[in-house]
Amino acid sequence: MTALLLALVGAAGGLFGALMGVGGGLIVVPALTQLFGVPFPQAVAVSLTVIIVNSAASSAAYVEKGITDVRVAVVLELATVGGALLGSLLAAHVPPAMLLGLFTLVAWYTAWTTWRRRGQSGEGQTAGEHEVRSWGAGVAVGVVAGAVSGLIGVGGGFLMVPAMSLLMGMPFKVAAATSNLMLSVTAATSAYVYVARGDLDLAVAAPTVVGVYLGARLGSTLLPRIPAVRLQGAFALVLAVIGSRMALQAWRLLR
Amino acid sequence: MRTSVALVLSLGSKVGVAACAVATALYALGWSWAPEVALGGVLVLFATPLVRLAVVARGFLAERRPRVALAALAVLAALLAVAVRAALRAAL
Repeated sequence: MTALLLALVGAAGGLFGALMGVGGGLIVVPALTQLFGVPFPQAVAVSLTVIIVNSAASSAAYVEKGITDVRVAVVLELATVGGALLGSLLAAHVPPAMLLGLFTLVAWYTAWTTWRRRGQSGEGQTAGEHEVRSWGAGVAVGVVAGAVSGLIGVGGGFLMVPAMSLLMGMPFKVAAATSNLMLSVTAATSAYVYVARGDLDLAVAAPTVVGVYLGARLGSTLLPRIPAVRLQGAFALVLAVIGSRMALQAWRLLR
Repeated sequence: MRTSVALVLSLGSKVGVAACAVATALYALGWSWAPEVALGGVLVLFATPLVRLAVVARGFLAERRPRVALAALAVLAALLAVAVRAALRAAL
């Protein structure tokens, strides 16, 4: 019964992640800690594994259909991996409450901008048909997204999707698919460390992974059929929730 | 290149997830091999991004885009370094 519930949690994370270009950790970590009583480091380790599965399962379809821009993904991965390594170095020196507060502001601002400009990035869903601009800004956000990932154990998709669609001029669906491909590399950088430390509970991870795979496959089938403007609206709401959650975490740390 | 990358991602996720599905059943039946099967599945999943990067680098080299290929190789090298360091720490 527990395995079935874990698979359902995974399926929700997989579906959500595949549609939004994020990892699904936003659903998996709170569900594991609050519903199943899994300790936080172990929940993060399962979440990072889930992000890798989600990325591989949904990206297989997106790459095949030409929605993913592999060239942009590779260049930005260089930035996110560098950022992730930088983040792990900074983690010991920066107060977590300050970081969370900063990212709350970024998440809320991005949510507002995405909501206001939804529909402007176009319905296109083929990589290479658009002109990619502002590479420097994209790389800079990539470094920050990687650092955030190294600091607080998330995939960084919530920063990369708006960076690609709002700053680099990529259509929203191409940005979401490209971010999805990148997530596995960013998550793997942290996941290897968690697994080597013995934080991954395999009995929890195995059924969750199965659920995520099924959810991600369903999501990758649905993405091309949903209008970009709706996806962007949903993404803006998700960002607002992420920001609020970070604000709550920062508040708890300060008390 | 797109087909090769999609194949690696599809194969890696399918094999890893299949092993995790088998492990879930073994856990439910109380069999002692369950953790080993689950670990095998997770390791396949963790290796998938590394193989994907190698395939991407080869693909861009074949397309005569050496700078993008070099970027993919640099990401692969960084990821491998993190994996080896983590494995060494676990072993010690």
